[in-house]
Amino acid sequence: MPEVTGNKIMTTKEAISRFVNDGDHVVIGNYTVGTCYNQIMEIIRQRKKGLTIYSQSGVFDVEMLIAGDCVSRVVSTYCMRSGGRSGGSMLERYQRAGKIEVEDYSNFTYNARLTAGAQGYSFIPVLPGIMASDVFKVRDFMGGQKFGVVKCPFTGRDLPVVPAANPDVCIVHVQRADKFGNAQYWGSLGSVSWACLASKRVIVSCEEIVDHEIIKSTPQFTIVPSFRVNALIEEPQGGHPSELSGCYNLDLLFWAMMDLANQSEKGFRAWMQEWVYDLPTRAAYLEHYVERFGKEPLDAIKARPYYSAPVNYGSAFTSMWDEEGKMRLFDMTREGFEKFMEEKGLLIDVEKSH
Amino acid sequence: MSKKATKEELMIIAVAREIKDYERILLGVGLPTTAGSLAKALHAPNALLMTEAGIIDFKPLVPPNHIADVMCIRGYSYALDLFNTFTTINYRGFVDKAFLGVGQVDKYGNINTSFMGGTPKTGMRLTGAGGAPDFVSYAKETILTLKGGEFVEKLDYLTSPGYLGGGDERDRCGLFPPGSGPSMMISPEAIFRFDKKTKEVYLESLLPGIDLTRVKSKVPWNLKVANPLKPFPAPTDDELDYIRTFAPQHCIPRQVLMELAVKKFLEFAGGKHKGKSG
Repeated sequence: MPEVTGNKIMTTKEAISRFVNDGDHVVIGNYTVGTCYNQIMEIIRQRKKGLTIYSQSGVFDVEMLIAGDCVSRVVSTYCMRSGGRSGGSMLERYQRAGKIEVEDYSNFTYNARLTAGAQGYSFIPVLPGIMASDVFKVRDFMGGQKFGVVKCPFTGRDLPVVPAANPDVCIVHVQRADKFGNAQYWGSLGSVSWACLASKRVIVSCEEIVDHEIIKSTPQFTIVPSFRVNALIEEPQGGHPSELSGCYNLDLLFWAMMDLANQSEKGFRAWMQEWVYDLPTRAAYLEHYVERFGKEPLDAIKARPYYSAPVNYGSAFTSMWDEEGKMRLFDMTREGFEKFMEEKGLLIDVEKSH
Repeated sequence: MSKKATKEELMIIAVAREIKDYERILLGVGLPTTAGSLAKALHAPNALLMTEAGIIDFKPLVPPNHIADVMCIRGYSYALDLFNTFTTINYRGFVDKAFLGVGQVDKYGNINTSFMGGTPKTGMRLTGAGGAPDFVSYAKETILTLKGGEFVEKLDYLTSPGYLGGGDERDRCGLFPPGSGPSMMISPEAIFRFDKKTKEVYLESLLPGIDLTRVKSKVPWNLKVANPLKPFPAPTDDELDYIRTFAPQHCIPRQVLMELAVKKFLEFAGGKHKGKSG
């Protein structure tokens, strides 16, 4: 049973070192936004190998991991062709060279696998229409394991099903968490909580570790509970260059730089040397960003406030005894209550009875 | 006498006009979101916009960058996860119209957004299936935008099922809600619809200044053409004003936009702020 007790706050370096192993199935928990870019970069810096990457909306996260030679297999539904029509992508380059295998699902069928895994089922039905699609018919490394067909015992209808996915580790970045690991996320929910709950180990990085009191007052934002989280990292700007609700917008200029770099493999590798390999921490990355571009571009994309209306989770009272020391149910003081128990012959002197 | 408009603006307006008030609309990335915003702002204020990321009932204030963009809005009515968006909303029949992009399309509105030219291992990767297959399957109607895509006799990969082999094959196979499927397609050159019986795509209107022969030459079969051709709807000043305010970057061709973006980027990368460290 993976260790989930004790102090789980640690650096990205330690978390990745301890909880991501060569050959692991790793799910990038974030759905397009708030992508845990620093955790991804750390996986690359630590030269993890032979990973099977689960990614639902890959952009540069998947590209970097592939270029970092960390990946053997990708389970995907969507991967931006960042080099454009002519430039291509690392995913395409490596797949064509036979260096990685890719299994393509659709957004729903990919998510369904994680939902099944999160719930402990071995499979889950998906929508029948997929059987008319090559997503169902064409199989890569999963072959006969990619989809199945079962007959509904109640309607007799043939239903396509997908196997559960239980990745070894989920890496995810969120807005906040408490020290116990209760992770809170808001914005566009996507498949984020399913990715966390399906996985055997969960590494959460967050913009800010907050007091448990804050988490307690907004339980509806908790997407993965403390007892499922193995490592917690406080990493401000941990999602840059992607966006995170309430924190920062997409850094379009930085994105354009990555796009242009990915027009060629050589260009992308040069970009990775500068922004991944040469910068050991996110703090160093941010420092380098400011050195090169100044602080203004980051300030320009900082989110302005738009707070949720507070909700009242309160109740009438939180103790059986009121402010005057009287029991709420019956009008007795504590002394009076214990006297009552004595008079009724309800109290037993345990020592005297031996 | 209406104002002059770019091709891009005409496409957005044509798509926006397909949205009726009170309809529940699933938006794919790009042009559809601008069209959806325009529709909601001008003629369909009670239309409900949603994305597969689970952002349900929102009003973009700036064009979304992608389908999970939550920074372009100020709140929304219902936060749902992706799995439940596809089941409780899509599968249960609550998507009136889905707007999706196209890589390759065939005669019967079957779509490829996965691979082109060769096999999945050797061909050119497109973006991938994304949410499309399940939306084209269960939305009451799907509207397709063909920006850089192409017409082919046979798809290299059938990502999202349209009318399959044509005729009543889609309805007969029992996998899809009866009557569902692509209803309209728009390219930078023309508006297309699908024949109600044969389900074959036909050209309904040409964009102004476009030559019919040119459009037909890009289609590898004898493309059917409405007779008479429907005139392309003229834009109103309100529509143009809205698009230019909401999404000026969508009013110009991608190439022109890229030129501007590269120029801006080079200023940024050239360290315009060097020396002014924070």
